[in-house]
Amino acid sequence: MARYSRASVLRFGAVTAVVVAVAVLPLLIADRYTLKVFTLVGIQALVVIGLALLFGYAGQISLGHAAFYGIGAYVSVWLVRSAGMPWFVGPLGAVAVATVAGLILAIPTMRLKGHYLAMATLGFGEIMAVLFVEAKAVTGGPDGLSGISFPTIGSWVLRGPAENYWLVWAVVGVVLLLAGNLVRSRPGRALRALHASESGARACGIDVGRAKIAVFALSAGLAGLAGSLYAHFIGFISPSSFGLQASVLFVAMVVLGGMGSLGGAVLGAALLTMLEFPGVLLPGLPRQVSDIVTDWQPDIYGLTLIFVMLFLPAGLAGLGRSLVGGRGRRGDGGAPASGADVVAPEGKGA
Amino acid sequence: MLLVAEGLTRRFGGLTAVDDLSMRVAQGEIKAVIGPNGAGKSTLFNLLTAFDRPDAGRVLLDGEELTGLPPHRIVEKGLVRTFQNTRLFDSMTARENVMVGRYTRTRTGMLAAAVRWPGVTAEERACREEAGRLLRLVGLGDQAETPAADLTQGRRRLLEVARALAAEPRLMLLDEPAAGLNSVETAELSDVLFRIRDAGTTIVVVEHDMGLVMEVSDEVVVLDRGRKIAEGPPRLIQKDPAVIAAYLGEGEDDD
Repeated sequence: MARYSRASVLRFGAVTAVVVAVAVLPLLIADRYTLKVFTLVGIQALVVIGLALLFGYAGQISLGHAAFYGIGAYVSVWLVRSAGMPWFVGPLGAVAVATVAGLILAIPTMRLKGHYLAMATLGFGEIMAVLFVEAKAVTGGPDGLSGISFPTIGSWVLRGPAENYWLVWAVVGVVLLLAGNLVRSRPGRALRALHASESGARACGIDVGRAKIAVFALSAGLAGLAGSLYAHFIGFISPSSFGLQASVLFVAMVVLGGMGSLGGAVLGAALLTMLEFPGVLLPGLPRQVSDIVTDWQPDIYGLTLIFVMLFLPAGLAGLGRSLVGGRGRRGDGGAPASGADVVAPEGKGA
Repeated sequence: MLLVAEGLTRRFGGLTAVDDLSMRVAQGEIKAVIGPNGAGKSTLFNLLTAFDRPDAGRVLLDGEELTGLPPHRIVEKGLVRTFQNTRLFDSMTARENVMVGRYTRTRTGMLAAAVRWPGVTAEERACREEAGRLLRLVGLGDQAETPAADLTQGRRRLLEVARALAAEPRLMLLDEPAAGLNSVETAELSDVLFRIRDAGTTIVVVEHDMGLVMEVSDEVVVLDRGRKIAEGPPRLIQKDPAVIAAYLGEGEDDD
């Protein structure tokens, strides 16, 4: 008998192929612009992986994640520019502050469910959006901050698009590995369990409140990390990047990718990020067409969400699973897709 | 006494669902709780497991105060329940459901899980194997990788029993485990209950299936309108006039 099953060999092969493809991409693509778009995909994917853990796995929605993304960006720039720290302190500080901000928001709000949690996180996002505009001393106000320094490792300044691409995707790779380990283990099962049945999870001895707070803080921290990478990569940040529209977009990426899938999260991030740059998504697209796509972008996001909710409740990952046949799960097997189960009342008493 | 409940009371508005109820469960017995619909059986289970808070009264497990602890702490102490309408994790396989049941008997935290800290893989493997063993114990060995949603109602109930067992409880509260089971499945269930009891877990079972109650229980507690109206061995309970009156009704039945 073979030690490894055919499926796991195939899986290993597929993962290796994807890793290699992602790693060598900058050697094949000379176009700096395209490479920058792919780097942005990686950065957004980090936010979406965190949100997938929170929303896709644990079933807790956040409509305020762009705020943590923003917190990470501003904290990182402040540390490096105003406090004169070396670059690597930026992302570390960003993760720390965003995680603490996530804890502070989660502790009072994680007892809320469904729509109420959506409203509370949305409110937090709006408060932070105002703060980003008003806290001019740190954020530069509505004009934002420009001329942000590139990431530096020792004396090496990561100036070129390829270097930044590798930095970001190396981080994505590590985060995917860690998150993958997490979801396939005791705490990951606990998150899926509380999503499927909160009272069932309680009956198994899971401290549901604590688990929700932990995953919220974790996903906020990941958004903070992404914000730091974003700031130093793009060189300019302003409050308009960290508002409600971005928050909704992140949720849309999770939904498009598939609620209970990390790979789907990256795919969702890739497709919806590249929609902003239609020329990269479909090379050779006539200029007129790509301008139309850009103009109608919010509508395309909205329609995509509606389409996915109606016809692909398990997202692209679910579509992939049902095409491959795989483990015989039905289309909606991965994780409950709509918000309905999140708000379903679970009766107390009898 | 393994479990002692004293003076438990729970009111919902004007209705007293559980009314000054006291109950004792000895180590190693199977105790049945019966009573007409609305007698307060499920509320009693909710009070014992902190899914609901009593207005008065207290609960002791092996002399240790449980009153006021949150549900997950009560599971850690060794008191575990199932639900009248099964609360399984439908998107997860039978094995994964049971593995979640081992939550309080495993340790891996988020950080350790993410970096595969030494020992994590071994604990995971042991957890998988234990889940497999428990699934075989309840007769679900051949459906370990089936999503819980795809199991028949009878098997879902058995899966919930296996999940509860995974927490290595000293006392297990089963809320109508035979509801929706056919006669073959009910017979299997009574075998499973004996096996669990013989392995050292005390059982309290709420059940409407009188055949099962008479077969498995050492003692029966009868509730009516939140009060205990009788307690004793099953043979005697069957003949108790107060029990018969409660079941046949006295003109103003609550069902």
